[in-house]
Amino acid sequence: MRPPARLRRIGCSARRAAGALALLGALGGRAGVVLAATLVIHVQTPDGHALSGAVVTVRPLDTPARRPAPVHAVVDQVNRAFAPDLLVVPVGSTVAFPNSDSVRHQIYSFSAAKRFQLPLYRGKPYPPVQFDQSGVITLGCNIHDDMLAYLLVTDAPYFGRTDGQGAWSADVPRGRYRVSVWHPRLRESEADLERELTVGDADRADLTLRLLKSLQPAPITDRAHSWDY
Amino acid sequence: MPKPPPMHPLLPTLCRRAALISLFALAATGRAADWEMSLDTRLVSSDAGRSFMDGGLGTTRFDRQNSGIQLGRARFALTTSLGELWSAHFDASAWDDKDRSPVGVTEAYLQFRPYPRAGYRFRLKAGAFYPPISLENRAAGWESPYTLSYSAINTWLGVEVRTIGLEAQLDWLGTRTGHDFDLGVTGGAFGWNEGAGVVLADNGFMLHDRQTPVFGRVGPPGAGALPFQQFDGRAGAYAGVEGRYLDRVVLRVLRYDNRADPTQIDSVSGAIAWNTRFNSAGLRVESGSGWTAILQWLDGETLIAPPGLQLVWPFRAQFALLSKRFGRQTLSARYDRFEVETNVPDGDGWQIGHAFTAAWLFDADAHWRLAFEWLRVRSYSYYRTEFAGPAFATETQLQLAVRYAFDSQSRY
Repeated sequence: MRPPARLRRIGCSARRAAGALALLGALGGRAGVVLAATLVIHVQTPDGHALSGAVVTVRPLDTPARRPAPVHAVVDQVNRAFAPDLLVVPVGSTVAFPNSDSVRHQIYSFSAAKRFQLPLYRGKPYPPVQFDQSGVITLGCNIHDDMLAYLLVTDAPYFGRTDGQGAWSADVPRGRYRVSVWHPRLRESEADLERELTVGDADRADLTLRLLKSLQPAPITDRAHSWDY
Repeated sequence: MPKPPPMHPLLPTLCRRAALISLFALAATGRAADWEMSLDTRLVSSDAGRSFMDGGLGTTRFDRQNSGIQLGRARFALTTSLGELWSAHFDASAWDDKDRSPVGVTEAYLQFRPYPRAGYRFRLKAGAFYPPISLENRAAGWESPYTLSYSAINTWLGVEVRTIGLEAQLDWLGTRTGHDFDLGVTGGAFGWNEGAGVVLADNGFMLHDRQTPVFGRVGPPGAGALPFQQFDGRAGAYAGVEGRYLDRVVLRVLRYDNRADPTQIDSVSGAIAWNTRFNSAGLRVESGSGWTAILQWLDGETLIAPPGLQLVWPFRAQFALLSKRFGRQTLSARYDRFEVETNVPDGDGWQIGHAFTAAWLFDADAHWRLAFEWLRVRSYSYYRTEFAGPAFATETQLQLAVRYAFDSQSRY
């Protein structure tokens, strides 16, 4: 975990501070340590165990949210599975879907945030797909029903996934934030797992989010792909 | 009403042409086709009565005359896409028995699979294929990944039941839209199944892995049964529903009726139309730690009504299978119960029995599989007394199987 950022004392009016916050946001938040504190989110299962791999998104409530810079990402297809099977990207990002298998795939999404399909292919015949709307996109293959992956397209300026200890952290300016947690196997609504918190004078703000319902069981991975599933 | 002309010689010709067209399509599409080949050989020890393929009433595939080295199955399968949304699948096998031809086609069909829309998916199959009943025969070539010999229910499906026609399936993909469940409905219409039921009435239930090729014969030349015939001009139908909980639980229920006219007798072959109808249900539960449990249930009847008679053979069977994967090894145990009753005055066809199966399968690598199976069937068959045998029999079959498989996806 990253050490808490040092607070640098500056004297300024509330108005200038707000302006500085906005500027800080525009500069990318994490890079600037001015007025920043470390926000640490812990995600736990209902029985209190750390939940790794959960997606955390954090939006400021006091200032207009800075849009994160789009990225160019890749979701490969290897051994009849998507790799990775969960990816978080900012709105406006592009994702390439190469097929590294020798068997052909036929990728689709009928999710509201992005409907698309890539007709039967091997290799890299198609340009990357752009995702302009935030939301969860479920990816499938029309040939191999057991292939499943998720894209979370977010407009939150701060986002990431919890580590092996169930924690995620970011340096954020002081202020009020709304924190959301999502996981593909979540049984409760995302709204139930939203919390507001204020990052105040301390160098570090911690928030623990405990799921109310246990996750769906993980997909079975040791079955032969050729089986009827 | 004039009787429709016998159609069964036409379809094999059509099938051969379809196969040729598929091969041309394959040649045209080059690497678009995926193929699989496998060779399964067995070392068999059996004390069972004469095998059904030799006209006997044994309940296992290999009888006491067959102990030694046997060909389990040689298989070749081809799947090729035909354009964007269509694909063709062709599955051929040789069993080294006395079938009509050395190589038989177990399944050959075209499939239409448009992209799912708004959480719904539609599928259409046309050709010859298995109706969606078995929860055991989920591996390539309709084989079981748990045992060498199939359960009594699925052995019978492999012997006498095939959809030679059309099947439509509509699924609601709940798990792709944030729910825990998927639901599906399926319906099929088929012909060439007037002979289905005759093996059940003659032999009763068996436990083996010898699938009858489409238009193939069950039994020795001249005396075998021909399940895939069409001469009464009526199509059969089935309808089923399927529910799934994530990728863990599958529940299937299906009603099947070949709607054969039991008063019809084929003017060419003299064969009688067997009206066979049944209900089936199955449940498969899998855990993330390698456990699989399968329950299947079958209840139906087959009947013929030659002039002045109505002969009925009600049948029912169930099995429970428990399996555990340990890495590349799979240990499975299954218990089968089965029964065929009849209203035939002298009891012809009456059978009741149960079977225990235990199997160990070891997938050494992507190509080699080693398997050992012990199968014991205890059954009463009225017919055995007509062949001067005891009505009760306990038959034990041991098989050691070595299978080598390779396919177009294998890394050489």
